[in-house]
Amino acid sequence: MSTTTSTAPGVGRDDLARLAEHWAEPRSLRAWLTTVDHKKIGRRYLVTAAFFFVLAGLSALVMRTQLARPESGVVSPQEYNQLFTMHGTAMIFLFATPMLFGFGNFLVPLMIGSRDMAFPRLNAFGYWVFLFAGLFMWASLPFGAAPNNGWFAYAPLNQVQHNPGLHMDVYALGLLFLGISTTAGAINFIVTALKLRAPGMSLNRVPLFVWAIVATAFMVVFALPALNADNAMLFFDRRFGTHFFDPSGGGNVLLWQHLFWIFGHPDVYIIVLPALGIVSAVLPAFTRRGVVAYSLIVLSIVAIAIISFGVWVHHMFATGLPQLSYSFFSAASTVITIPSGIQIFAWLATMLLGRLVLRVPLLFVIGFVVTFVLGGVTGAMFAVTAFDQQVTDSYFVVAHFHYVLIGGAVFPMLAGIYYWLPKITGRMYHEGLGRWAFWLAFTGMHVTFFPMHLTGLFGMPRRVYTYRSEPGWDGWSLVSTVGSYLLALGLLLVLVGVVHAVRRGRPAPADPWEGDSLEWSTASPPEPYNFPVIPRVHSLHPTWDARTVESTTTGATADRVLSEGRRTLFTSELDARTERAVEMPEPSFKPLVLAGALLVFFTAMLLAAYPIAVLAVLVVAATIAAWLWPSRRPDEELGLAS
Amino acid sequence: MTTGPGPHTRLAGGLLLWYGVLGGAVAWAAHLLVAWPLDELTCAAGRERVSAVPLWLAVWLAVVIPGLVTVGSLLVATLVWRRTARASSAGAEDRAVGRSRMLAVVGVWANLLFLTIIVLGGVAVLVFPPCQR
Repeated sequence: MSTTTSTAPGVGRDDLARLAEHWAEPRSLRAWLTTVDHKKIGRRYLVTAAFFFVLAGLSALVMRTQLARPESGVVSPQEYNQLFTMHGTAMIFLFATPMLFGFGNFLVPLMIGSRDMAFPRLNAFGYWVFLFAGLFMWASLPFGAAPNNGWFAYAPLNQVQHNPGLHMDVYALGLLFLGISTTAGAINFIVTALKLRAPGMSLNRVPLFVWAIVATAFMVVFALPALNADNAMLFFDRRFGTHFFDPSGGGNVLLWQHLFWIFGHPDVYIIVLPALGIVSAVLPAFTRRGVVAYSLIVLSIVAIAIISFGVWVHHMFATGLPQLSYSFFSAASTVITIPSGIQIFAWLATMLLGRLVLRVPLLFVIGFVVTFVLGGVTGAMFAVTAFDQQVTDSYFVVAHFHYVLIGGAVFPMLAGIYYWLPKITGRMYHEGLGRWAFWLAFTGMHVTFFPMHLTGLFGMPRRVYTYRSEPGWDGWSLVSTVGSYLLALGLLLVLVGVVHAVRRGRPAPADPWEGDSLEWSTASPPEPYNFPVIPRVHSLHPTWDARTVESTTTGATADRVLSEGRRTLFTSELDARTERAVEMPEPSFKPLVLAGALLVFFTAMLLAAYPIAVLAVLVVAATIAAWLWPSRRPDEELGLAS
Repeated sequence: MTTGPGPHTRLAGGLLLWYGVLGGAVAWAAHLLVAWPLDELTCAAGRERVSAVPLWLAVWLAVVIPGLVTVGSLLVATLVWRRTARASSAGAEDRAVGRSRMLAVVGVWANLLFLTIIVLGGVAVLVFPPCQR
């Protein structure tokens, strides 16, 4: 079959039957373990990340209970150190990023009109690695061997002479292991968004959520190597006696901080940018109009992605630098508020000019705007060196980053969960439960974290296990603890709402919200092949555009039905002109085997069982060789080459 | 009937467009990666000269040159924006024109943003001695 355009045959029953046959994945354990369907993998990311969120949330509740009163003894100092480290590490690495990758996995192919991700097996591999790395890290907690040095794991406290045991080995190896998943996912997103967009979806018609995911993926590719290098050096220091961070051997403790924050500050935006993309995706459906200033929102996404790499030193203002150095990073840290502000004003203008439909997703978006702006204001304060040096390492910082991360990431994620739940599960959620969840979570969040600004300004240091009774600390700490239980109750109601929807929700139509992007033009939940006809896109709002809708009905052509195999379309990077059809891979055990072998490798390295580690490396090499072994006929033989 | 541009013209136009979009970002990155380490490393070594050049002058150049590159990028983006505006008003519905116009808008604002960072960071060069702590 060549990819020439034929006259409009529509999509007949034969085509649908062939598509169903080629893309079918039967319900069996084997199918469950071998699936490469981006929707199933996306759902797994969402569920697994939510599971780690619950564990990290429970850790936080224990900590808040410990800190409710001065000189409390709910947990020991050693347990507290492990809890606060696992809370931060899990929230950042095992919840926030994977949750957004879950949304991306489920939605990006649907939003761009593709039938799967560019590398479906790599996608499955990324999920299995994420799951195993998460379990690898959490499994250390019951053994009392969990990381205990904070999610930032500063040197020299991460060195073996100051921190014996396996704690920081788990941290270094766990994050190296997880980094494989994140990198694989990022590369997959970039190629998918650049090469698999539906014909006609030029750069100025790409949904803002996809722009955000691609920008994030580029950031991951550039930022993560710094963290990987840091963790590799830490493991060598601890296990093999090198001195990268040991000044007595010629190393430098600040090297850890530089490398960590070269990753760590962009990581804040790696978490926040896709969440902002969710807001831009949700708003059109509940304001009945397109988001205002599309080009400027793209600008702000790109600008934030770039500038975020030039702000890391503001985490190190207290370490002592020449005055001139402060100006370079203070300037960047100040100016990054401008693109963030552009997005906020664009959303406010959208709400002002649109006709608001006040459903639960929009409530969470409004909660996000309020909370994120407050977090942004304190963020701008940190760009002022003198202020930063006053409040650094105090609870003011804790308040700030929870406003940014809960306001800027968790609330948009909750908006996204309610918004796309009908698409993901095929069921509608309960509006009343959702509203209760919003008000409890919103109130709980502010009652928990606003007082921390005050306790921080009153001098309460962060990361402390307990504190003596001090004026201004006790009362506000108790308020924070009460708030944390309210927040937890709200989040529990979200979980109840999701379970209720899945078990008892009424069936969802294909497009319950009259959304503007392509995922709403498919069934709820979508068929395994996503689209019976790959659409031809004519505008920024394809499902509101009659020509695009027509392209999938009477205007359907064989080159976009592609029912002869498991196929999707390759298009050009800038203007999405059709290039050729490509064959997508079948389900496979290889991603699971490869991830399992890596788990054995990292566990063996942790336990210093080096012969087993060598064996695992051999299995890894053999699996990769088998994976890459040419098994498909060349495109020319399939008649697919252009 | 008009003929389309040749491959060399298209390549040059494409490169110029990307300079207009990303020139400021690259210039700011170069500014940061040159000016900051120059200041930091020279001061840490206890010197106030880079070879024969006074440190303040070297840092000043690392501010001014990227600033000029960004201004150039801003001008190119503005030019593309005006030309695509004319093409749009003439009724052209080419995907490439729409895409170029969007990128030009992004370029204009991004260059203003990066020029702001370079100028804000550079102001201190005029005020502080480079190795003041």
